[in-house]
Amino acid sequence: MKALRPERVVLVGSSTMTEEIGMTHPDLFRGIQENMAGFKGTVRVVDIDDPTPIEGDLAVIALPPDESLTWAGKCGEAGVSAIIQITGGFTAVQRATYNGHIERYGFRLLGPNSIMGYLDTGIGLITAFNEGIAPAKGPSSFIVQSGGVGAAVLDTAISEGCGISRFAFVGDKIDIDDEDLLMDLLEDPETKAIGMYVEGVKDGRSFVETASKVSAVKPIVALKGGISKEGARRARSHTASVSGSDDIFDIALKEAGIIRVPSIQSLIHTSVALANQPPLEGRRIAIVSNVGGPAILGADAVVRAGLKMARPVEETVEQVTSKYPGVEMINPIDLIADADGERYKHVLKAVLADETVDGVIVINQMKSCFFSPGDVDGILEALKGSSKPVVDVIPGGTDFRTLRGRFIEAGIPAYTDPSHAVEALEALHSYSLVLKGEYA
Amino acid sequence: MTGHKPRPVLHEADAHALLKEYRIPVARTVLAKTAADASRLFSELGGGPVVLKISSPDILHKTDVGGVRTMVRTADDAADAFEGIVASVKRLAPKAEIEGVTVQPHVERGVEVIVGGLRDPQFGPVVMFGLGGVWIELFKDVSYRLAPTTTDKAKRMMMEIRASPVLKRFRGGEPVDIDTLARIIVSVSELMAARDDIMEIDVNPIFARRDGAIAVDVKVIGRAVE
Repeated sequence: MKALRPERVVLVGSSTMTEEIGMTHPDLFRGIQENMAGFKGTVRVVDIDDPTPIEGDLAVIALPPDESLTWAGKCGEAGVSAIIQITGGFTAVQRATYNGHIERYGFRLLGPNSIMGYLDTGIGLITAFNEGIAPAKGPSSFIVQSGGVGAAVLDTAISEGCGISRFAFVGDKIDIDDEDLLMDLLEDPETKAIGMYVEGVKDGRSFVETASKVSAVKPIVALKGGISKEGARRARSHTASVSGSDDIFDIALKEAGIIRVPSIQSLIHTSVALANQPPLEGRRIAIVSNVGGPAILGADAVVRAGLKMARPVEETVEQVTSKYPGVEMINPIDLIADADGERYKHVLKAVLADETVDGVIVINQMKSCFFSPGDVDGILEALKGSSKPVVDVIPGGTDFRTLRGRFIEAGIPAYTDPSHAVEALEALHSYSLVLKGEYA
Repeated sequence: MTGHKPRPVLHEADAHALLKEYRIPVARTVLAKTAADASRLFSELGGGPVVLKISSPDILHKTDVGGVRTMVRTADDAADAFEGIVASVKRLAPKAEIEGVTVQPHVERGVEVIVGGLRDPQFGPVVMFGLGGVWIELFKDVSYRLAPTTTDKAKRMMMEIRASPVLKRFRGGEPVDIDTLARIIVSVSELMAARDDIMEIDVNPIFARRDGAIAVDVKVIGRAVE
């Protein structure tokens, strides 16, 4: 959507106005101005207490509803092609007035009640107001319906080192909706995977159709929120009485090729995997670990997820045991606590070349083992150019933070818990089914 | 019919006709209005064992109101069963409109499955598959697709339910007729997609066997008319 890729941005707000209940506040207005400092085009600030002429392609409005409508009209007159309406609280009548402006002036509207607006790291467009909200550039993009969940997703993405291309807060979506944004992300060369938070969609069938087009090219994961109205139907049949609205939403997402996840954390975890790793074509997983217990937890999670533990072929076993007789080649493969980068490299190369292995979980624990940050090199060298998906686990917390960056830089998703790694592989397998047309 | 307020539940004969139009195999079913009808129809159906069931648009759970008699073996028994069913329904569901009692040849049982249809306010027509009979409400072991659907998707629906091993290893380890079941699922989905005056369908139970599958009961709910 060209409207969301402006060269000139105009920020419309007030340096004095505060709402009794609402987001309009001088601090919010100032916060947006500060975050827009890195924008690649020009930024103008129009303070309605002492207004200057509106000149821009995209206007960001952070005012109470009545004032917003007045200024949206002025922005329309000035020929903006898009408005991001940060603030909310619009009544049905006020929304209708906004729609009238859209019809009259032909601009596109994101919001109202968008709260955090829109982020495009490629052009430094950040209309959110909090400090420290700028994510690193990267291959994941998000479309979120709730400011609150969206902000949590964004903060998690920043803290987990998940690089972002675009991040849209759709708000009340009276104009720009999920479908518009999905089609936009389909065209974005930076976006490799899309994460969504949805509560409802405008037109169910149309949404499924559009999302199907996008998911055939780029993976989509979604977290669904909203109270499911179980039994709200006046059911007279068994079919309707056992079917909750969430069951139907669930199958609609599946038919759209969208992979559903249960939590904010899962949304980030899976989208990082989908953005960086190839689809998991089969179900056979090998676990290569320097520690026993976490590897067993991983194997349990593999089976629980409906994946299988691979059985390496004789040739692979031979290749490993001829050099490392102490390594027992029973999957999960225990490299023993003294494994260094060299041992990881040798074993991983053999395992990745094994045709009976579809995907790999690497576990490298630091505490209780002799693994040091330098050993990461050996792992990354073995994984270079692998056509099979690989995810890494650094069990723990502080050790995870020590090593994570190295893996993320190399495009290897890293997790603290083996079950998170399995969840990521599960999503990668789901996406292979989406691509084959066998997910629903 | 009470006349002034159209009922949303299709009469049994209309529901059966609708199924036939969509080539969904359904056991031959005839309506007896009186006990004498029942014994005459027993003979006309070949004199084998029959099943008698209450026919009423107001009753969803026929067994709950004593509305079903199975393995009825003589014409006299058929007349008695008719009286028994009507008496029981009048007692347990006094407000229900009674159209009569249907007489159906006994169908060889198989794995009981349900194929259903419903109309979702957000996503439109949907088809459902699950184990039928009494288990449906208890376990809700069902799967869905948006309607209309395809044969491939219908087959994946069957494998998605937790009880799918039952379909693969029916009596003596033989699988049930997956192709026929898939055809029924596709047909119900096509019906739901084509007929937006229909809100809900239960084709339940369907007896699925090694070769073939046949529906013995069906309920069709139309759009409510104000």
